[in-house]
Formats: sequence, structure tokens, C-alpha cells
Amino acid sequence: MSKVTYTDPEFIEGLRHNQDAVLRALYKKYYNLVLKYVVNNSGSSEAAADIYQETIIVLYENVQKPGFELNCQLQTFIFSIAKRLWLKQLRKSGHTLRFKEDEEAEVVDVSEEITEHLKKESDIEKMNACMESLGEPCKTLLKDFYVYKLSMEEISEKFGYTNADNAKTQKYKCLQRLKRYFFED
Amino acid sequence: MRATDLFDNYIFGTTSDGEKTEFENRLKSDPEFALAFDKHKTILEGINQHEQRTHLKQILATIHQQEFGKDAKIRSLKEETFIKKHGKTFAVAASVAVFAVLGTVTVLSTGGYLLKQQSNAITDLKRDVTELKYSQDAIIEGIKDATRKPLKKYAPANIEGTGFALNNKGYFITSWHMVNNADSVFVTNTILDRASAKLVASNAALDIAIYKIDNIESIKNISFPFSFKNTGSEIGDKIFTLGYPRRDVVYGEGSVSALSGFNNDTTMYQISIPVNPGNSGGPLMDEQGNIVGVIRGKQSSAEGTGFAIKSNFIKQTINNLENDSLKKDLALSGKKSSLKGLKRSEQIKKMEPFVFNVMVYKK
Repeated sequence: MSKVTYTDPEFIEGLRHNQDAVLRALYKKYYNLVLKYVVNNSGSSEAAADIYQETIIVLYENVQKPGFELNCQLQTFIFSIAKRLWLKQLRKSGHTLRFKEDEEAEVVDVSEEITEHLKKESDIEKMNACMESLGEPCKTLLKDFYVYKLSMEEISEKFGYTNADNAKTQKYKCLQRLKRYFFED
Repeated sequence: MRATDLFDNYIFGTTSDGEKTEFENRLKSDPEFALAFDKHKTILEGINQHEQRTHLKQILATIHQQEFGKDAKIRSLKEETFIKKHGKTFAVAASVAVFAVLGTVTVLSTGGYLLKQQSNAITDLKRDVTELKYSQDAIIEGIKDATRKPLKKYAPANIEGTGFALNNKGYFITSWHMVNNADSVFVTNTILDRASAKLVASNAALDIAIYKIDNIESIKNISFPFSFKNTGSEIGDKIFTLGYPRRDVVYGEGSVSALSGFNNDTTMYQISIPVNPGNSGGPLMDEQGNIVGVIRGKQSSAEGTGFAIKSNFIKQTINNLENDSLKKDLALSGKKSSLKGLKRSEQIKKMEPFVFNVMVYKK
């Protein structure tokens, strides 16, 4: 049985090093906090789960930055991010804001983190749209080459091309198409 | 050489020192080249980010499902106070293969929870227990099932997966990719204590291995429930499987999606059952409880795409055996499945003694 509780710095270190157990423990620890907030403020449990997962993504991305330091309790950071994301979501859906705000819960200013996250989110969304237009096998082929660093021989075998040169030509065509979608839209 | 190849070589660091200098000089002197390089980097970064994000979302959705899905605490909050759900922030695949995601997580140079490089088109679904997965297993089992009877202490196997009996003489079938190069193989299940097994036949091309369990005292008097389907399945046929993606037997259901597997391999079905590492070698059943295939793997590039070897290739493997007495021993029963017409839960109860957690030890 593994360690079940972690201190804030241990959570941060663990996340930084992509430790599954830490991510899981973290996820478990603060979910109810966010769930309670969202549910008390006109949200469903599904919406809470979405907001919470996005919150963890924001935390994760910040933790990955060199020199990241937490200036408040992890719980406060998480709650602040989740709150901002949820308010944004409510506003977007045109919901009348009627809050039963939890006055107990402390918040910190996370505007910078949120702005940065939204920018990244929109970049990823754009790439996602391009990837979708690109379709298969291009999508997988490009990821295999550029993310998973498969060799052209492996790619050739995987996709059933006659040889590595052929695979390379395919990769080139896929990449050109992706560039066209991405930069011309 | 194409400009993109120059870019890739430079980024991947496969350029020689001389070429590197030349490349850098060109960046300075040729603005068009420099711009193209910037775009190239943007795209690559975008591809990486996209994949990382997709993957992280899947992991979180999986954790959520495991920790707070259905039977968890969430229900204690009053559902009736929830208003209709808002637009989803992101669409996440809830059926993400847990161990496939969490179990093979590794860090790439760019950072992030990313899948380990998959060099095979089909991901074998064995559980490499010696890697991350063992600790994962222990964590999940430790946390979620603290009340369960303690597992007997044995050295952890290198690989675990599933197998199912061909009859009640102790013969069972499993995936060749799991047992390939095995030093020893043990099986266990809900009623069978850990028993050793010996390889009796195999067909690597079909990914089939047949083993015999040494001690079958505990199951020999239980009626053998399976029959093997003679005709092929159709697209859309409902199917299900039992397997050991973790230490407990796990049920999964779905349908036949295609009559061929990866790269149009006609020895396989494509199936829409969420299969995880550890499901390899499990039985693929139709609704009547006939065996229609053996779980083989899943497509590494697509979620929810599994593959199973068609059951007639099990027959073919047996028929091609040269050892006549073994062939006789393995002759598949022509009897009707005793599972027909039963409720699924009843079918599963009858199947369980004949579906094994296969533990493979390597030297």
C-alpha cells in the first residue's frame, strides 16, 4: 500500500515528475472541494468534474514551469482556479449569477494563470480542429513521428508503406497539409 | 533535401557540426528560410501540446471514473439540487483504458504525462507487472478494496493477462505475446489456487498459445460451460469478455465493429469493447455464451478499438497439431453452450472458474 497523504511540496514535486500515484492522490483530495462549490453555485456534478479536471490541468501546467513556486496553500490555489473557471463558464452560458459564495474559502489572484491557460487552450483548440480536418492516417503518423519519435522504418511497417522513403514522403505530405490548415485559416 | 527535413534534423539533433553552423548561418541570412523554420517549430510544438493535453485529459477522466464514478461518494450529495448540466468544457472519452493510460505513462523530453512510445500498430494487452503497473495495481487494490482478503504473497509476475479453458481437462488458451520466452507460467482465478501450467502448443502468427494446468482438482468436476461458434460473427453482434486487467475479474461488453483487424487482417475481428492491458488472452463471447474469439490487443492510435482473433483459428491451430493424442485431448466440444438463455450475471458465474488470471515469469 502506498502513501496516501502528501504535503503541498510533495504534491508539487510529484506532479512535476509525473508520478501517477501523486496525481491520483491529489485528484482525490480536492475534488469534493470543487464539487461542493460548483454544485452550490448552479452546477451539475458533471460540470464540476469538467471544471475540476481543467483546474488540475492548469495546476499541472504551472508546476511544469521552471521556477514555479506556490505562494499559498495548494488548496487555495486549486479553489481559486476552479472558481475563476466556473464563473467564466457560468457567464458564457448566460446563466444569471446568483451566488451562495462560500465565505470561508480563501482565494488568491490567479488572473495571470487563467489568462495564460485560456490562450493555450485556444491554441490547442485550433490545432485540434486542424488535426481533425487532417484525418487519419496523417494525424497518427505525425504524432508517431514527432511525439513518440518512431523511426520511418517503424512508421512504414505500422502503416503498411512499402518502405521508409515512402513513409517519409507521406509524412511530408501530411505535414504540408497541416501547415496549410494551421497557417492559412 | 527538403527544407522540412533540414528542420527536423536540426531539431532532432542529427545534424553534423558543420551542417549545424551552415544551418544557423542560413537562418540569419535567409529571412524566408527563418520564417519557414519558425512555422515548422510552431507546428511541432502544437502537435506535441495537443497530444499531451489529449493524454492528460484522458488520464484525469480515467482517475475520475475510478475514484468518483458511479458507486463513489458523489451520490451522497443530493442530485436533485443539480440543475441541468452546462456545456461540457471538453469532451472526454470516459472509456479510456485505465492501465493503458496510467500504466504506460512515461515522460518525454518535452514533459507531460505521455504514452510510452508504441512501436507496434497493435498494443499487446499484457500487463507488464514489473513496470509501473505493479505499484498501480497495489495502490488501486489497496485503496479501493482494503476489506478484501489479502493476496497470498508470491513474487510478482513479469507479465499478467488472461486465459480461458478449452475443456475441463486443464487445457487453456492464452496469447502467445504474453508467454513468449516465459520461464514459467501460473494461473489462478476465483476458485483455482495458484497452479503451474506447461506449454503444449502454440501458433505465434495467430498469437495463440495452448497450455495445460498441472493440478485441476478444483475445477475438474465443474461443468464446462463454453462451446465454440462454428460460423463467424456479424458486424453489430453483441459480444462480451471476462478478463484480468487487474487482480479481480473484470467484465466488458460491446459489439463486433468489423470483420477484419488491423491492416485488414482477416484472422481478427475489430471490437468495441474497452480492453486494457491484462485483457489479452481473454475469451470473446457472443450473447448465447459461445466463444467467438480471443482478445488480442488494441490499436495504439485509436481509443476504443480492440482486436480479437476469430475462434475458427483456434480450431485451425488445434487441427494442425501433429501430435494425435494431444489433438484428441483438445478436440473442441460440439456440445451446445450451457450458457445459452441465461442472464448475463449467471453466464458470468458459470464462466468464472474457466477464465484464468495468467501470470508469466521470465528469466
